[in-house]
Amino acid sequence: MSTQEAGNTRVRPAWWLVFSREMTDLWMGGKALNLVLVFSVLLGVVAFVLATNSELSLIPPKEMVFEMLRLSMAAAGFICLIIGADSLSGERERATLEGLLLTPASRREIVAGKFLAAISPWPATLAISLPYWALLSQGDEAFAQAALWGSVLGTFLVPALAAIGMLVSFWSNTNRNSMFVSLGIYLLILVPSQLPGSAQAGSVGQLLKKVSPMEATYHFVEKIIVNSRTVSEVSVFLIAPVALAVISIGILIWYAPPRLGLEAGMMSKRIKGRGVAVAVLAGLLLTAFGPAPLQAQESPGSDGSLEISIDTEVATVRTGDPVLFTTAVANTSDEQSPPVIVAMNIINLDSDGDVVDPEDWSPERTQYVTPMAPGNSVQLSWRVNAILEGDYMVYMVLVPEPDGQQSTSHPVASPGIHLTVDPFTRLNPGGVLPIVIAIPTLLMAAVGFVMWRQRRRINQVDAD
Amino acid sequence: MDGSIPRTAVLQADDLRKAYGKRPALRGLSFALLPGRVLGFLGPNGAGKTTAIRILTTILEPDAGHFTVDGVDSDHPQRIRQRIGVLPESLGLPRHVTALEYLTFFGGLYGLSANQAKSNALALLDEVGLRKRAQSLIGSYSRGMRQRLGIARALVNDPAVVFLDEPTLGLDPRGQQDLLALVRSVSRERHVGVVLCSHALSEVEGVCDDVVILSLGQVVAKGSVAEVLAQARGNFTQGAGVRIQVPPEAVERARRLLEGLPFVQTVEAQADRGGWLRVGMTEMLDEDAYLQSGNQALADLIGSSIPVLSFETHGGRLGEVFLQLTEGAGS
Repeated sequence: MSTQEAGNTRVRPAWWLVFSREMTDLWMGGKALNLVLVFSVLLGVVAFVLATNSELSLIPPKEMVFEMLRLSMAAAGFICLIIGADSLSGERERATLEGLLLTPASRREIVAGKFLAAISPWPATLAISLPYWALLSQGDEAFAQAALWGSVLGTFLVPALAAIGMLVSFWSNTNRNSMFVSLGIYLLILVPSQLPGSAQAGSVGQLLKKVSPMEATYHFVEKIIVNSRTVSEVSVFLIAPVALAVISIGILIWYAPPRLGLEAGMMSKRIKGRGVAVAVLAGLLLTAFGPAPLQAQESPGSDGSLEISIDTEVATVRTGDPVLFTTAVANTSDEQSPPVIVAMNIINLDSDGDVVDPEDWSPERTQYVTPMAPGNSVQLSWRVNAILEGDYMVYMVLVPEPDGQQSTSHPVASPGIHLTVDPFTRLNPGGVLPIVIAIPTLLMAAVGFVMWRQRRRINQVDAD
Repeated sequence: MDGSIPRTAVLQADDLRKAYGKRPALRGLSFALLPGRVLGFLGPNGAGKTTAIRILTTILEPDAGHFTVDGVDSDHPQRIRQRIGVLPESLGLPRHVTALEYLTFFGGLYGLSANQAKSNALALLDEVGLRKRAQSLIGSYSRGMRQRLGIARALVNDPAVVFLDEPTLGLDPRGQQDLLALVRSVSRERHVGVVLCSHALSEVEGVCDDVVILSLGQVVAKGSVAEVLAQARGNFTQGAGVRIQVPPEAVERARRLLEGLPFVQTVEAQADRGGWLRVGMTEMLDEDAYLQSGNQALADLIGSSIPVLSFETHGGRLGEVFLQLTEGAGS
């Protein structure tokens, strides 16, 4: 007897049979495959945009990896939520649930099999995401951290969303209701992560960051990957996603199965009322805490006798190219200078052009110079990334530090650099294009193969 | 089938009750089904048939009463599900799998190994006449083939009782006939009890041994088909009679002859309907007297050289009994 034949004599548990059937339905039926294909296209487009921005040095690799990880988890969670939302109400609508319920398979095994199938897109989306993360990390250690924490936290967050979708489906008689409610819940979970930074600054904002599973996950990963924090420093943000997973999966596996029937499970009025109350309270909290107040600053004063020069007068570059130059700060007096701050600014010479945000153009806009002895000078190196085509002036401002709160100083401006930026388009920024094209193409081929196989089987039948 | 429940019954229901809120759906359902027999479950819409079937198939819990399937009490629904097969009215079948894969999957859920489930599936497909299409996608099946596949699925676990809810719905006459023949053969050859829910009373009359008629959640008649018909005929006091068809040119002679018979009360000639005569009889003491009077009328017609083309006892069809017993109920 061959190994396969021996295996075929074994009685398989019901959850495994349900899982296998669901997997066939999801993947060979095309539903999951199509969603994953859309996911790969979405990831490709975003990766391309990020890589383009990286070429312009707008986003450092760590941030790009984090942004991609965030997108991967949100999209994978959405896919699993949708599949979960279809799992029970869809079977009710298609009248296939009754057949399952009439078998001796326990309800819990049926639900477990369906749940495992509903989360099956997560490993697939993770596998698709890894090459993008690797490419955008550009050799940075951010990739290893993203792979580790993306896998771990996604394995809590994504199944939790699938479980929520299935629970909604459990309480819905129609797929339409199930989808609408699931999407509503998804948006509610997503809202805290979409709040402006100022709204997250207050104490309630901070609390929301910790209790919102998605925002807590993002925050944790961002702190680890982008800000190089240790796990112990931000471990509090792990609580929300883990708690959501434990609660939602727990309810799905232990509470729901004994109540699974042909008609949707009934939620008691008391539970419904509490749900509405929680939603209203959350809404009030979100609207009550607006942006944190900004702190106004007074301008510093000057004590004179300081000069600033620049080694470049004119530069012409293409978009994406860096401009490197040096400034010299000199103390021409016979006294020691105060501490000096040198700030760079860029303006658009075209009155109809876009207003320049210097933060986007340079990784370091301000440098601090310690007090200089009489007659001494200091060289400072600068880098400007040419982001948009146009005609610009780059200049420096030297600001002597004022003596105290009641005094001020006079800033001194340097000569400007007349910067001309010509257009330049790169087709394959960061070498991302092969992956952006290859992964969706491979998935499209898989979808095509599945459709062709189905068509062939039907045609064979017709020929019979 | 009578009030005393046989010990060998494969399905035995005792005083099953169910209400949805304050609305009673089932008010004391009791009956028994013997192996190898087909029980017709009849009733107008809203009579409680679906509720009864869902209770008996463990999908719903009764408010009161209990039932046994093959000796297993209703307190053990999972064990009962091992012993029943069901063809629901809304038969949901996946489109993207073959019939063989489908039945193999269900075999696995009933505890068969993959090999056993597959060979069992092939045998069942053979039994229901779908062996040649075993590898076809279910999406390519006709309605009749789907119903046959549904019956095969109901038999996957070699059940003691099979529930068939409107199995011939949507089938053409040939398909209906073939399917009912299949039901009959399943019942006889496998020696299983079959509960057949249907609105098509002629098919129930043709294939069922026993019948339970429900109205507004209550049993209004039960027993063998012959018993229920006799019970209904016994209720006739006025208007019982026969319908006789003779050649149109002989209608008038036949009418005069029948009017002269002592037990005939009225004769209504229906010449425009192919020579039919509706004969109303005087009140009869019992069914035997009723049948003998009918025979006498036929003998007199034939003795007078009037050809009898067709003969029906008025009130002798299950459909008429059904309408009589469920009058005022349903939608």
